[in-house]
Amino acid sequence: MPAARRLELVVNGERRSVEIEPRTLLVQALRDGLGLTGTHIGCDTSQCGACTVLVDERAVKSCTMLALQAEGSEVMTIEGLSRDGELHPIQRAFVEHHGLQCGFCTPGMILTASDLLSRAPYPDDPTIRRSLRGNFCRCTGYQSIVESVRAAATALRTGTA
Amino acid sequence: MIPAAVEHVRASSLEDAFEALADPEAKALAGGQSLLPVMKLRIFRPSVLVDIGRLELDGMQLGETELRLGSLTTWNKLESAPELERPSLAAISECAAEIGDLQVRNRGTLGGSLAHADPASDMPAVVLALGAQLVLRAADGERTVSAEEFFLGPFTTALTPGELITEVVVPLVDGSGSAYVKVEHPASGFALAGAAAQMTRNGKQRVAVTGVGAHPFLLPEAADPLDALSEAEIYGDRFAPVEYRRHLAGVVVRRALERARERMEEGR
Amino acid sequence: MTESVIGVSRPRVDAPDKVTGATRYAADGHVHGLLHARLLLSPEAHALIRRVDRDAALAMPGVVAVLTADDLPIAGAGSDRTTEPLARNEVVFAGQPVALVVAESEAAAEDAVEAVVVEYEPLPAVVDVEDAMLPGRALARVVEENAGGGDLESVHAATDKGQDEGEDEQLSDNVLDKVHRSNGDAAAQLETSDAVVSGTFRTPWVYQAYIEPQVATAWLEPNGNLVVSTSTQGTFVTQRELARAFDLPLERIRVVAEPLGGAFGGKFALVEPLAAGATLALGRPVRVVFTRTDDFQATNPASAQVSHLKVGARKDGTLTAITARMIVDRGSNAGWGVEGITSLLVAGPYRWEAHDLRGYGVQTNRFTFGAYRGPGAPTAAFALETLLDELAVELGLDPLELRLKNAVVEDDIGVSGNPFPRMGAVEVLERIREHPLWQSRESLPDGEGVGFAAGYWPGGNEPAAAVCRVNQDGTMTVVTSAVDMSGVNTGFATIAAEAFGLSPDQIRVVSADTTTGPYSGASGGSKVTYTVGAAVLRAAEAAREKLLAAASEELEIAAADLEVVDGVVRAVGSPDHSITVAEISGKALRFGGRYEPIEGHGGSAQTRGAPSVAAHLAHVRVDRETGETTLLAHVIAQDVGRALNPALVEGQMRGGATQGIGWALYEELVHDESGQLLTSSFLDYAIPLADRVPDIDTLIVEVPAPDGPFGAKGIGEAPVIAAAPAIANAVAAAVGIRLRELPMSAPRVWAALEDARA
Repeated sequence: MPAARRLELVVNGERRSVEIEPRTLLVQALRDGLGLTGTHIGCDTSQCGACTVLVDERAVKSCTMLALQAEGSEVMTIEGLSRDGELHPIQRAFVEHHGLQCGFCTPGMILTASDLLSRAPYPDDPTIRRSLRGNFCRCTGYQSIVESVRAAATALRTGTA
Repeated sequence: MIPAAVEHVRASSLEDAFEALADPEAKALAGGQSLLPVMKLRIFRPSVLVDIGRLELDGMQLGETELRLGSLTTWNKLESAPELERPSLAAISECAAEIGDLQVRNRGTLGGSLAHADPASDMPAVVLALGAQLVLRAADGERTVSAEEFFLGPFTTALTPGELITEVVVPLVDGSGSAYVKVEHPASGFALAGAAAQMTRNGKQRVAVTGVGAHPFLLPEAADPLDALSEAEIYGDRFAPVEYRRHLAGVVVRRALERARERMEEGR
Repeated sequence: MTESVIGVSRPRVDAPDKVTGATRYAADGHVHGLLHARLLLSPEAHALIRRVDRDAALAMPGVVAVLTADDLPIAGAGSDRTTEPLARNEVVFAGQPVALVVAESEAAAEDAVEAVVVEYEPLPAVVDVEDAMLPGRALARVVEENAGGGDLESVHAATDKGQDEGEDEQLSDNVLDKVHRSNGDAAAQLETSDAVVSGTFRTPWVYQAYIEPQVATAWLEPNGNLVVSTSTQGTFVTQRELARAFDLPLERIRVVAEPLGGAFGGKFALVEPLAAGATLALGRPVRVVFTRTDDFQATNPASAQVSHLKVGARKDGTLTAITARMIVDRGSNAGWGVEGITSLLVAGPYRWEAHDLRGYGVQTNRFTFGAYRGPGAPTAAFALETLLDELAVELGLDPLELRLKNAVVEDDIGVSGNPFPRMGAVEVLERIREHPLWQSRESLPDGEGVGFAAGYWPGGNEPAAAVCRVNQDGTMTVVTSAVDMSGVNTGFATIAAEAFGLSPDQIRVVSADTTTGPYSGASGGSKVTYTVGAAVLRAAEAAREKLLAAASEELEIAAADLEVVDGVVRAVGSPDHSITVAEISGKALRFGGRYEPIEGHGGSAQTRGAPSVAAHLAHVRVDRETGETTLLAHVIAQDVGRALNPALVEGQMRGGATQGIGWALYEELVHDESGQLLTSSFLDYAIPLADRVPDIDTLIVEVPAPDGPFGAKGIGEAPVIAAAPAIANAVAAAVGIRLRELPMSAPRVWAALEDARA
């Protein structure tokens, strides 16, 4: 039986240490090891995206990554997005444009949007919708999420924090 | 949902990797987007994961006569690489853009997927249609295998134990056009039927199909592709029976050929 | 003049916590000494359990216990999911929980599940619901349950139910319930109608697919009281179920509802008996988390149905008679069924001269069915709204005009025998008629079509209570026990703000538990805003009375001459004579204070229903070569009574419509002939994704409910109901085929096109 070991990760800008087994998924290390429960588990087939985090600024499904694979990278969870108690523009856009209901998919949606908008500052609706393919929502019907992402795009482009 | 217990070693070089892969229960881990899902469902239980994810196998080199792709190139890179924006290579980025979703494309790799050889995965059809060669390396040396010789059955390839794909080499065919068209399963996103086509100026066409049989396959070049499909062994299931899938294969083949032709024409 | 906050779109009160990941859902909380449980599910659809061998599992690292039915201190009699959370002797569906493996970590529990060996003696699996009804057929459940446990001998002596008195149908004991409503002579009416159409419609088992899998955590307080923290739709109903299961007095059980990650009807007392049973057995805290695979197999999706329907009309479009035979596959749920509601709603929001409607609830060896947003309604609407379109075609009438001609108005008698209350059927239909999509439906390219359908949900009633408490700083806390499933907390803040005179920003809404909260029924049935909202309104009014009484003394002005505006009590007409709510509260809430705390308690017990009508337009393009249907546009019009917060109302409309799109095109739980579930993950079960759903136009119609807070109704369920038939009718308009089975998957559409070509 592989022994538990300590793993150093950089999470939300901080060096953190967490006890893991080799098989420990990144999502488990974040939730159980570090108490960062904003990252959620919604399926076991790597589809729903509720576990999405940023690894080196790229959206990944933390359930489909071993914690060990994140060693040496910068991991950002939803908790790391806001600064000094101020909502990030994407977070604010989701609040103001009603981009959530139950909220379970929301952290994943926001972080996928963060990746998209960092590469595509002017995404049209089809691009936004396609980029959210890997984030399931059962409550909203997606439209308000698309509107939130569009509003976030504008806010990020114009620096209206 | 949690994989069975497994050891993990990170390979800092190919030699390292080969040494660790000498264990028959060991499995190479690249992006993990094909391997980790089957481990999480406990369908597959290697005893050791040999993590090759940090090896420098992700280069992209466009030469005069060929395109060389490192096996650790991610879908994300293939989807947006400017080098691939030409009619002859369009099928590659077109296909990469339809694999999985944004998150999967950030981590999934070309080599990882080809080695996994899911009979409904997309890129095998493209490498077949473009006549690609796969560079395989093992502890005892290197060999090159054509895509046609590589895909042997469901999740079965020509890779021998301990062997890794290091590069995919795509010959550049001047003035050709290529395309990838698929009809996806609405749940899994995998191909119910997918076709990659290459159309060359001298009238030659190469078409490969995925999602409908034991493995992705190239249609015989001389024959009419639709005739060839009517002879092929097609799998069906409760959602998409054989008759529908065979018909669908014909549709995507036709559409891929049309689009490849359009691209070839626009490249004139 | 106060500016009303009713009708203003405000963000949800819980949005900031949700976008920062601060919200703690039911699997997130830390509990000291927590053990983790994983389920062992039966692979057999119908079998006797002969032996459970737990030795190997118990020997594995971190494993604390392997619990079977006998280990749980279940005291209640019965074989429902509450009193038999783990199968006792007989397994009645593939996926039924047989054992609970409890360990120090989830990984250890998951490892150990594989090591438990269960020996089954297979029995015939009942999987064909219509066949199961016939006399002489094998029974889906054979063991007779009594307080002393099962009688295995009766397996071989199972007999049929004889002929029911007064009925001429011979039915097996698999038929758990029958309903029959009739009026007039429907058969004769159909004979003399100018147009009659009929059909058999099949809808599959459909999964609620809430993104948060089911989870509950239980522990014992030092005094032995049981606490259950859970993802649930109702705290008091869960408390009652646990009391029944474990024979504990209510005051010894505390149920705490954590923020809900979606439920849609599927989260009612399914997990809590497992967690509670494990805790009671082991004396330690236990969390039961369903993996998604567990959730597919072992929860409670919506029943599959077979509906035989016949409708008739006169030449001028007046509906004459309707006959229906609706067979509902209850799976292994013996407790209740939707055969009653589906055979009621199959008549739709229309007037009929005669009706003969039958419903049957039949047990089979499949999951216990559960409620899913408008249970029994989407299935009924698929049948009715398809046939009404066909009637329109046969009579050469516009399908929307046909609906309008027959749409009920207040006091029309429904097939239930009761009069309809004021309901916006006509208004909704007229609104949809104006939409450009309907106006331009005749001039579309080949392969495209627009379809229409309507449906309604009766809504629910349940008495409720609420408390509004003004705090020392002049803010208000609203306390209810309602689970916030659809944004109701934000609605409560709006209601309280409007009624009391504070800005909604000054109001916090708290969801209390069974120990601390005023009573509220479960969230579901489209009733929370209507009933709990009404209680909040009365509580806010009661608090306002107290406020004005105190203010009146302070200002020496009669209460009738005072108004409350944005936290300030002032004389009407001379705003300088004022005192803030905070100041008054400050004078009350202190040692030696002069005034009672500014708090109000309110209750509600509406007896009048507040049904909600919703109509849909769908614009589709069908790819004739692949059978794929693309939804290009979708419109929904709904009578919501009063849109307290339009953005939230639109969210419910779009969310419900999208689930209806799932019914139409994608969703189907499939079993094989031996009762095995073939679709046990999202790899096989497709739900609508972001790039498959178009923008959905929402048309809000307001026909106020007399008893609802500011006229608001419960609106959560109506929007799902008629989406599928609208899409089916659009497919018919596009390519001329009518599918009688959902979902209209690409292979099915293609096969129908092929048949039509032949």
